[in-house]
Amino acid sequence: MKGLLEYTEGNTFIHRMNPLVKLLLALCVCAAAFASDSLAFLAALLAIDLALGAAGGVFGKALRLLAGLLKAGLLLFVLQLLFFREGRPLFLFVTDEGALTAAKLALRFIAACMPLALMLGLTRTGDLTNALVKTAHVPYKYAFTLSAAIRFIPLFMSEMEGVMEAQASRGVDFDGGPLKKIRLALPLCVPLLMISVRKIDGSAVAAEARGFNLRGRASGYKDYPLGTADLPAAALCAALVALGIIT
Amino acid sequence: MIRLERVCYRYEGSGAAVEDLSFEINRGEFAALLGENGAGKSTVAKLIDGLVKPASGTVTVAGLDTRKTKTSELAKRVGFLFQNPDRQICKNTVREELAFGLELRGLDRAAIDERVERTLRDFGFDGERGPFTLSRGERQRLALASIIAAEPEIMILDEPTTGLDYRECMRVMEAVKGLNENGATVLMICHDMEVVLDFARRALVLSKGRLIADGAARRIFRSACAMEKASLSPPQITQLSLRLGAGFEEADTVGELAEAIVKRRRAV
Ligand SMILES: Nc1ncnc2c1ncn2[C@@H]1O[C@H](COP(=O)(O)OP(=O)(O)OP(=O)(O)O)[C@@H](O)[C@H]1O
Ligand SMILES: [Mg+2]
Repeated sequence: MKGLLEYTEGNTFIHRMNPLVKLLLALCVCAAAFASDSLAFLAALLAIDLALGAAGGVFGKALRLLAGLLKAGLLLFVLQLLFFREGRPLFLFVTDEGALTAAKLALRFIAACMPLALMLGLTRTGDLTNALVKTAHVPYKYAFTLSAAIRFIPLFMSEMEGVMEAQASRGVDFDGGPLKKIRLALPLCVPLLMISVRKIDGSAVAAEARGFNLRGRASGYKDYPLGTADLPAAALCAALVALGIIT
Repeated sequence: MIRLERVCYRYEGSGAAVEDLSFEINRGEFAALLGENGAGKSTVAKLIDGLVKPASGTVTVAGLDTRKTKTSELAKRVGFLFQNPDRQICKNTVREELAFGLELRGLDRAAIDERVERTLRDFGFDGERGPFTLSRGERQRLALASIIAAEPEIMILDEPTTGLDYRECMRVMEAVKGLNENGATVLMICHDMEVVLDFARRALVLSKGRLIADGAARRIFRSACAMEKASLSPPQITQLSLRLGAGFEEADTVGELAEAIVKRRRAV
C-alpha cells in the first residue's frame, strides 16, 4: 500500500483539471457506487476508475491500488457470506442471495474507495485546499484540516514502518499469521501515537508561528478557472449519479 | 564478525543507496561509519541488522548470512540504537521498557530482574518513571540502556549523540565504551568528529553509497581528499596539528599536541 495515496507528478488533462471538479467527480463516482444495486454498473464504475487512472498516467498505481482494495474486499465478501442467511443454499453455509449481496458489497466498497484515492494521487493537496477556500468558500481552517489529515497519512505509514523496524531489531518476530501480527502490532500503537502527537503539536505551533491565523480567502495567489475538460467531467458526474440511482 | 561482500542495495523509486560495498569488522573493534547526509550510512546499519536484505552480494554477521536468518534471530546478537529513540520505547515505565528486550530474548524471570536492577543502578534511572516524560537525552540513554542490558555481541549505533549536550553525550559514549571493553563489537554512525577521534579506533568513510576510505581514524582525518569528498571536517586539534606541520603531525589529542609544543620550546 506504500506510496499509493501520494501525489504523482504529471501534466495530463486530469492533472490540469480544476481540483474541485476532480473532487466532485470522485465523490460522484462514490455516490453512484452507493446508489446503484446492479453488479454490471458497479463493474462499469471500476472500469471507469481504471480508465481515469490510465488517463492520468498512473495505470500501474491504479492496478496496485485495486489489488490492495481487493484484499479488503475479499474479507468483506467472506464475512458477508458467513452472516447472510436468506435465499437458497448453494453449498455449506453459502446461499445464492448471500453470494450476490456479498459480491455487490465488496464491489461497492472497492468502486467507492478507488476514485477518492486516485483523486488524491492526481491532485496536489495544496491546490485542493486553495480551490476549496477560494472557489467553494470553505473556511481556511476546515480546508487546512482536511489537507493536513491527508498529508499525514503517508507520514503515519512511514512512521509505523520505522517503529516496526525498531521493534524487529529488538527481537519482536513479525513473521507469522495475521492474528499474530495484529497482537504484536497493538503495543506499537504507543510509540506511534507518541511520535504522531509530538509531530502534530509541533506542526501546529510552527503554523501558528508563521501566521496561520492571518490567512484569509485572498491569500492564495493561484486562481482555479474552469478548463476545457471540466464541463464534460461535470456532465459525467451527473450522468453517473443518475445511472447509479436508476440501476 | 561483520562482513559485507560486494553489497548493493537500492530503495524502491530512488537511486542506489549502497553500491558494491565490501568491508570487514573484526570481533572487539570500535569502528565509526562516516559520510555526508544521504551517503547510505543508515542503510548499511539496517543491512547489518537484517532489516533490509542486500539486492546482491552477501552480508554475514556473526557467521550468519542475513538473507537466510530471521531478523529476530539476528536481534539476539545485534543491538541497534536507532536515530530516533521514540521508535523503540513502547512500555509504560522505565523498568518495563528495560525488561521488554530481555523477555524477547527468552531469559528467565530471575535473570531479567537482576539485569534490570543492575542497569537501573548503572544508568541512574528511576524505574517507575514514564518513559515519555523523560527529556530527549534521557530517552536516548534509556533506549541505549535497554539494548546494553541485553548484552549484545555486536552493537550498532545510528547517531547516538546527535542532539545531546556535552554531559549526556559523554555519559552515552562512556556506556558504549564500557560495552566495547567487555568484548562487544561496535559500529557507530556519527557526525561529531571529536567524538569519533576520542572513542573510535577505526573509521570507514562512505560517500554516495561507496566506501572511499577505511583505516585508523587518526589517519583518515589527515587525508584531505577523503574528508572533502564526504563533506567532513576533521577535529580542530587535527587541523591545528596539520597546520603546525613538521614535528606536530603525529599529535591527535590536546595532551599530545601540548607535549610536542613543550618539547619544541625546550629545543629552541
Ligand atoms: N525508505 C526510503 N525510501 C526511499 N529512499 C530512501 C529511504 N531511506 C533512505 N533513502 C535514500 O537512500 C539514500 C541513503 O539514505 P541513508 O538514510 O542510508 O543516508 P544516511 O547516510 O544515513 O544519511 P543521514 O546522515 O542524513 O542520516 C538517500 O539518498 C535517501 O534518500
Ligand atoms: Mg542516517
